[in-house]
Amino acid sequence: MTYVLFTLSVMLVMGFVGFSSKPSPIYGGLALVVSGVVGCMIILNYGGAYLGLVMFLIYLGGMMVVFGYTAAMAIEEYPETWGSGFEVLACFLVGLMMEVGLVLWVLDFDEVVVMVGFNDMGNWVVFEGEGSGLVRSDSIGAGALYDYGRWLVVVAGWTLFVGVYVVIEITRGN
Amino acid sequence: MPSIYINIALAFTISLVGILTYCSHLISSLLCLEGIILSLFIISTLTASNMHFSLANIIPIALLVFAACEAAVDLALLISISNTYGLDCIHNLSLLQC
Repeated sequence: MTYVLFTLSVMLVMGFVGFSSKPSPIYGGLALVVSGVVGCMIILNYGGAYLGLVMFLIYLGGMMVVFGYTAAMAIEEYPETWGSGFEVLACFLVGLMMEVGLVLWVLDFDEVVVMVGFNDMGNWVVFEGEGSGLVRSDSIGAGALYDYGRWLVVVAGWTLFVGVYVVIEITRGN
Repeated sequence: MPSIYINIALAFTISLVGILTYCSHLISSLLCLEGIILSLFIISTLTASNMHFSLANIIPIALLVFAACEAAVDLALLISISNTYGLDCIHNLSLLQC
């Protein structure tokens, strides 16, 4: 199926339209989780298995869970879904129509097959000589964070530490 | 320009418009901010994989670290607004001070 990446990117845009049309935050969180899953599948098709896993664990499993709990605190009696009010439905349908228009324009514009990723074998790095053999390039590149990017690790760790203090001070009030 | 990048940049723009337009809840705008971060993560990962530039895989991970900090501070502000006004409606927020 040569159009799988194009279809996935269209589904990504539809998921983004789903939470940008501002339904109730619970349904917005649901649309964001679906968009995250579709985005992870796009990343996997480009050969980035490690970064897809990072996105699932940290983005969906960490940040979205926190958002879900906070949205549950802000929930009202009758949450507004996509079909209930007129404005949300209108924004959603207009967004979908624009995406359908883009798809028709793109498929009419370039006659050749829409580009799929280049990486059939290319993301397996082979080292010369004895030793390593096959290495995945995305996890090796992210591992270089602790080698070439050690100052970035220190700065990011300090940022997270100070961020916790900022959150405590904000929620303390007064 | 490949159509996939057009779609992902379009997703970024749709989330950006979602932040700039207010509906009843503040947390809906924060969700659109998370959507922006998601689209930036996807674009930087695809660029690093396409160019076979392995060191650029650091960029999505560092982006996720700072996005987590920023989401935490955003939610703390939301909680403090909710504690003051009872709900996070946009109507409650005003810059006017008596």
